[in-house]
Amino acid sequence: MQRRQLLKNIAGLAGVGASSLVLGNPIATLVNSSTQRKADLLVNAKQAFSSAIKTSPTLLGLQNTTGNFPPQQLIIEGKLPNDISGVLYRNGPAKFERGDQRYLHQFEGDGMINSFTFSEQSITHQGKFVQTTKFIAEQQKNKFLYSGPLSQIENSRNVSLADAVNTANINVIPVNDEIWALWESGSATAMNAKTLDTKRRVNLGENSQYGDKLKGLAFSAHPKIEANGDIWNFGLSPSGHIALYQLSSKGIVKNVGMINAHYRGKMLHDFLITHKHILIILPSLTANSVNDSSATALFKSFKYDENLPMQVLVIDKQSLTLKKQFELDAGFAFHFGNAWEETDGTIHFDASINTNVDVMDELSELMSGKLRNLDNSPHTALFTLHTNGSTTKSSIEGDSEFPRVYDHLVGQRNKKLYTLSHTESNFWRDTVCCLDTDSGEKDKFVYGEDFIAEEHIIVSNTAKEGEGYLVGTALHIPSKRTCLNIFKADSLSEGPICRAWLPYHIPLGLHGSFKAS
Amino acid sequence: MNSTLTTICSIAMLFTTPLLSAKTLEFTIDGIKSSKGKIYVQLFKGEGNYQSNKAYLSSIAVAKQGQITIRFNDLDVDDLATDGADANDLNNDYAIRYYHDENDSASMETNLFGMPTEGYGYSNNAKANYGPVKYKQIKFYLTTETVSNTSTIVY
Repeated sequence: MQRRQLLKNIAGLAGVGASSLVLGNPIATLVNSSTQRKADLLVNAKQAFSSAIKTSPTLLGLQNTTGNFPPQQLIIEGKLPNDISGVLYRNGPAKFERGDQRYLHQFEGDGMINSFTFSEQSITHQGKFVQTTKFIAEQQKNKFLYSGPLSQIENSRNVSLADAVNTANINVIPVNDEIWALWESGSATAMNAKTLDTKRRVNLGENSQYGDKLKGLAFSAHPKIEANGDIWNFGLSPSGHIALYQLSSKGIVKNVGMINAHYRGKMLHDFLITHKHILIILPSLTANSVNDSSATALFKSFKYDENLPMQVLVIDKQSLTLKKQFELDAGFAFHFGNAWEETDGTIHFDASINTNVDVMDELSELMSGKLRNLDNSPHTALFTLHTNGSTTKSSIEGDSEFPRVYDHLVGQRNKKLYTLSHTESNFWRDTVCCLDTDSGEKDKFVYGEDFIAEEHIIVSNTAKEGEGYLVGTALHIPSKRTCLNIFKADSLSEGPICRAWLPYHIPLGLHGSFKAS
Repeated sequence: MNSTLTTICSIAMLFTTPLLSAKTLEFTIDGIKSSKGKIYVQLFKGEGNYQSNKAYLSSIAVAKQGQITIRFNDLDVDDLATDGADANDLNNDYAIRYYHDENDSASMETNLFGMPTEGYGYSNNAKANYGPVKYKQIKFYLTTETVSNTSTIVY
């Protein structure tokens, strides 16, 4: 039945296909006359950053990374808990410059996987670039060959498939005995979990009934892994359709669906699951119809529309069909922590929500060395979708981003939400926080303005909320070193019980996972 | 003044272009990754036919790893002598698209988003770039007795 449904979908898509193939315009290009001017912007960006970092050392984390980091044991302060065994993987953009050019946006950098392997009384780090076809080609030529979602390269090579510019730079998850480096608009990239060597571009349908039907489809960067190991994810098509995936813990596709979301916002980063449903939350982004053909790069192709409500698409996990739709106030969220559902069908979820998408421009300015003020940071909002179609929203005071919950509670009721926020620093997140979503109480640790805190995740051997540890990296600006910090998950305010130092710093990353051994 | 130039150009073409109405096209595809299946080639005459998917001629060749050349003989070309116009102003433009039917299904396989998952390409070695190739990128004229055109297949 599901197979038949899929075939029907495929047939129905023929028209879409013809148009989206080649019509879909995820990252449109510039007219030739303006590429020269745009290329100059990349040269200016490199000069501006290089000049700015001399007086603003906090820009350290966005410096270009030139090569891999060989295995390096960390120096441990405090006592390393003996019940943490496994590897913390992190991903993030790291290669920002080639020749005299520097990308205009952090999200354009080629991905690097950093691993921190916990063994008895030691932690060892290594970092390797994901060997995407783009990275390999540009390494060989020692220059940028492809325009990015913002940076336009003169005489850019043509891009007939999104994977040609796949930078695999957003997130990394363990799948079977591999790790998968994830991007937003194309395939996952499989890597060796121990050596971090790149193995292949993942063809999702391989070894399944789907064959090549899923080859090259977008497999987004925030899959949700249920307690039973099933991996759920979505992929946005340039036509505004959304593919939905259910994979086994081995990474084999079990079910695939497609809905027409009529989404024109081009960028869709995260989603949620409950035990019964998938929630696709469309932000208030719409197509940016500009007359200036020089402004058609992906990051210029959408805009925030304060009059456009956010949409929640509630999709049945069994049939992968749309069951309900809710409208929320206009907003934008990169990230969601978790969703769960009561027996009567009432759905709860949290979002790191904002009322604009200015962060995209701010991150671009940062690449040219202009420090951004975090006054415009998102905050946590707790949403409830009632069975009668109404919705309620409760905003939590203070800013917050990079939300995480316990692995065993993905799609189940959580009471603790771990996030990052800023306290002393005007520009960077320097605080880790655990929010009790029932009481509203917060348990916080402020690193202070000497540190830039990165996403922290929960590492626990038990399926009990509040037990185990919160683990995350931070960049210490004065000493130019990255440290790994381990907190007891139920008492962040006591500070890290262990801190492990690299003798150098690694690029600021985005997201990661812990794989227990 | 413009009209004078046009006339001069047209006269020049009268001397350099044979006044024949049947031409040969040799289309070479390289970069074929395997000898599995067949290569389906469609020749279109004019943009209208291309957009409405009406091939003027089609050819199916056995796939061969590396390179193949396909010939189209006796192609119609409006006689340049009849109205003395520039070749580009006549309806003499052709275009080619092709794909490598590796699994012998007689259709181009695509993924769920409609992107090809088998090799494909166009005349003039035109390549899609965040969108479809435009007809003007793939059109060519039969200006000599035998015209050669090449393309490297994209997988």
